[in-house]
Amino acid sequence: MSENAEFSPRIAAFLCNWCSYGAADLAGVSRLQYPPNIQVIRIPCTGRMSPKFILAAFRKGVDGVWVSG
Amino acid sequence: MADIAGDEGDFTVKVVTHPRYVDTSKCIACGACTPKCPAKVSNDYNEGLDKRKAIYVRYAQAVPLKYGIDPAKCIKLTKGKCGNCEKQCPTGAVNYEDTETTRDIQVGSVIISAGFKPFDPSAYVQYSYSKYKNVVTALEMERILAASGPWMGHLVRPSDEKEPKKIAWLQCVGSRDVNTCDHPYCSSVCCMYAIKEAAIAKEHSHSGLDAAIFFMDMRTFGKDFEKYYEKAKTSGVRFIRSRIHTITEQPDKSLMIEYATEDGQAKTEVFDMVVLSHGLEVAKSSIELANKLGIELKSTQFVKTTSFAPVSSNRPGVYVCGALAGPKDIPLSVVEASAAACAAAGKLSSARGTLAQTKEVPQAVDVRGEVPKVGVFVCSCGINIASMVDVKAVVDYAKTLPFVEFVENNLFSCSQDTQDKMAQTIKEKGLNRVVVAACTPRTHEPLFQETLQAAGLNKYLFDMANIRNQDSWVHAAEPEKATEKAKDLVRMAVAKVALLQPLNEVKLSVNPAAMVIGGGVAGMNAALELAGQGFTTHLVERDAQLGGNARLLRITAQGEEVQPYLDGLAKKVMDNPLITTHLATSLKDVEGFVGNFKTTLAGPAGETVVEHGGAIIAIGGQEYQPSEYMYGQDPRVMTHLQIDAAMMNGELDAKKVNSAVFIQCVGSREPERPYCSKVCCTHSVESALHLKEHNPDCQVVIIYRDMRTFAERELLYKEARAKGVLFVRYDVNQKPVVKKDGDKLTVTVRDHILGRDLLIDADLVGLASAIVSHKNTELAQMFKVPLDEDGWFLEAHQKLRPVDFATDGVFMAGLAHYPKPLEEAVAQALAAVSRAVTVLSSAEMSLSGTVAFIDQRKCVGCGVCWTVCPYQAITQDDKGLAVVNEALCKGCGTCVASCRSGAPNLRGFTTQDVMAQIEAML
Amino acid sequence: MAAGKKVTGAVMVVGGGIAGMQAALDLANSGYYVYMVEKGPAIGGVMSQLDKTFPTNDCAM
Repeated sequence: MSENAEFSPRIAAFLCNWCSYGAADLAGVSRLQYPPNIQVIRIPCTGRMSPKFILAAFRKGVDGVWVSG
Repeated sequence: MADIAGDEGDFTVKVVTHPRYVDTSKCIACGACTPKCPAKVSNDYNEGLDKRKAIYVRYAQAVPLKYGIDPAKCIKLTKGKCGNCEKQCPTGAVNYEDTETTRDIQVGSVIISAGFKPFDPSAYVQYSYSKYKNVVTALEMERILAASGPWMGHLVRPSDEKEPKKIAWLQCVGSRDVNTCDHPYCSSVCCMYAIKEAAIAKEHSHSGLDAAIFFMDMRTFGKDFEKYYEKAKTSGVRFIRSRIHTITEQPDKSLMIEYATEDGQAKTEVFDMVVLSHGLEVAKSSIELANKLGIELKSTQFVKTTSFAPVSSNRPGVYVCGALAGPKDIPLSVVEASAAACAAAGKLSSARGTLAQTKEVPQAVDVRGEVPKVGVFVCSCGINIASMVDVKAVVDYAKTLPFVEFVENNLFSCSQDTQDKMAQTIKEKGLNRVVVAACTPRTHEPLFQETLQAAGLNKYLFDMANIRNQDSWVHAAEPEKATEKAKDLVRMAVAKVALLQPLNEVKLSVNPAAMVIGGGVAGMNAALELAGQGFTTHLVERDAQLGGNARLLRITAQGEEVQPYLDGLAKKVMDNPLITTHLATSLKDVEGFVGNFKTTLAGPAGETVVEHGGAIIAIGGQEYQPSEYMYGQDPRVMTHLQIDAAMMNGELDAKKVNSAVFIQCVGSREPERPYCSKVCCTHSVESALHLKEHNPDCQVVIIYRDMRTFAERELLYKEARAKGVLFVRYDVNQKPVVKKDGDKLTVTVRDHILGRDLLIDADLVGLASAIVSHKNTELAQMFKVPLDEDGWFLEAHQKLRPVDFATDGVFMAGLAHYPKPLEEAVAQALAAVSRAVTVLSSAEMSLSGTVAFIDQRKCVGCGVCWTVCPYQAITQDDKGLAVVNEALCKGCGTCVASCRSGAPNLRGFTTQDVMAQIEAML
Repeated sequence: MAAGKKVTGAVMVVGGGIAGMQAALDLANSGYYVYMVEKGPAIGGVMSQLDKTFPTNDCAM
């Protein structure tokens, strides 16, 4: 990345199907706008969230991981 | 609903469908119509605080999520001009020619749940609601606080949209005869919602909101209500016991409240905003409907029911539930709803399953071992996706992905014709995995899964890429990036779907027998209803006879005599051939799970094992034995139940009592029992009225902390005051004192109005002693269900699943849940039956395929997974290793995340599946 | 109910608020056909207008 380019972090989001994933859908229904540099993975419950997923995402090269549920 | 003809079991109901002007089968809820609609209308969903359009959905999460036209406000329908929405609609759903239709529907029972109407204070000068902008109703306050409200959840006052620093809530607006135009009853819910609003407003405020609640009695009588009240006090919400007489607006639109305190002092205080805690009333339309159907109403206009049949109207086959049958909160409405379902079904059990339809699913092709052949269907959703995302580019990209065999773009993937075509394509191309890139799995996954099933594929061989709700709709300004993101999402979905395996939905047989534990009013009602619906029932009672606590009760709040009812109930139970009663019996062990329990009973004849599919826990509660107020030291000091028993057996002759004192909250609302026992205020008032009736000269004093004669019980309180019963409030820090002076019994209490001590001679002191739980941890452990810290059984969800446990197949009713009056215990019993029947009525249960499994080669039996499992679905087998009980597993995956050796995995969301998505992410 | 009398295995629920919805769900899950009649364009009743609910302050929606 060049020095003067604006840093745009790539974010992996692990969202619980029953709440946060639904909220992300609702953001769409409400047409709330946010930057596209976030990728959502739907999980059945945040209980499913394993530390391995976070490490794998960082290894893959994301700059941030967001777990929400 | 226009009219009803016929009788119980066979009604013909005339139903009028009002025109919606939008074809719901075509509307895709894209919202293209609304921005172009020129008609702005007051938004009733937000209580008129903002505007909506004439073509609208009531709210973003509305079900059905279909638009409709408000015919009174639509310019096309009223003036014949405009037509914008028709032009905008991509699916041709708008139909201005839509007309009213009437049809006759055959049903066996009718349940009326028309609800309530919030009291409208606008017509009454004294509330200043119409005059001042910053006086709002509590429902308006709900909308102000809501993220979906007019100010997106920012706490502002309507006049200047500035954040208020001080808000006052005024209780009993429209209730308890505060003003001449008000209703005489208590609306039951306002105290709690005012506390909730105050607490939430404080959270929303940036400047440390000063919240004050002006009240007469704080009625926090339900489960955990008192704790919430105490918490609000600690968090700084002010509670001011007072009477308000005037509200005046200040030049800056603030409001000055003039009020009188309990001891008669006049005070004033200025607030930025005033919330009216308005009560519940029956809508005029509901009264008209009731009159048309011949349904009897009470003087309060709520539907008349009895304590023993709390959801039955006077017309056989017509049932009521919710706030239409009396002011009540959500949990009790939900309880009554299930109870009404039970009662409505009770008379129809011979026709169960005759009209309900079940879908036939073709046998799925076994695709295991085949190379994945993925089909990708990219939806345009009209223009919802296609206008932002380059759908063609996504299609072309998808073709390059591994294992992808077929890609297609659809205008609407969800339309019936596309569905049929999709099933055809799956078969023709031999696809064995499917990805749909479209709206969101939360609404459309089941639909597409059905299409897979119709095409002979296992429904779990499917995934969706959310390219609408989480892409095109939220990145509207960046179409190129949105297109790239759509490609990413499709790539991730394809990577996952290629790994997916067909999942089996295990079928479990269900034993259609039930067990009811506890032979009181709740238990007996539950057993009778179960038997009435054709289920073999085992009723287990610890005592040698049926009846429970109700054996000691004289009358209900509606004045019905309890004993004749109880005798009748017990006889019906004993006579019912489907009910086996196990008296003087307790539970020793419970094995199994929903559908297949095996319970060992220990009774007089030794141990027996009973197999059953579901269980209802109705073990009741018990009366607190006081250690205070000279209880046990003088026979004239008696508890509620002792007084009732003595009145019934004649030991207590009401004519001979000249002075009676009742002391409330004995053992309740104390640090060791921080809850209200709910029934005691009404009970004391009933006893007081009984004494007054037999000896009008009798002096009766009720010493209380807050009079909690909730709902229509308020009328009894009113009657007692009219008949001369004296009510004296005491403070918890200054409790009354009972003394014995020679033979004389005296009660001393501080009167807050007079500001001095009163000394009362009494020949009867009634103690409103608390209801306490049995704290039956053994039973709780046997059924794997929780107790709360006061020993009450803890429901799955306090609002929405009030008689269910998180553990399937086990339900509760009566005092075991929390102190409650008899009619609520009956309603809960019926509700528990209704919930139990949803399990017992099916010959077999289909379990979700998304369940955990253990690779025992990796398991070391460390026990972490069965400790963390919230559903107790994992146990140890005889080798000491973990095994999942698929009947109990809910597929949360907590076990998978917790295991150090990677033995558990979750079907449909395996570690490999999620890892594939992560790998494909960038 | 007297033997031989016609019994229809369907129930009508009038009102689609929280009580009506629960009643309808229980009946449908027990093998009865349910007709729900609601005068508004969407079900949900007054509860859909509430912001949060006691005791957990969960979203009412």
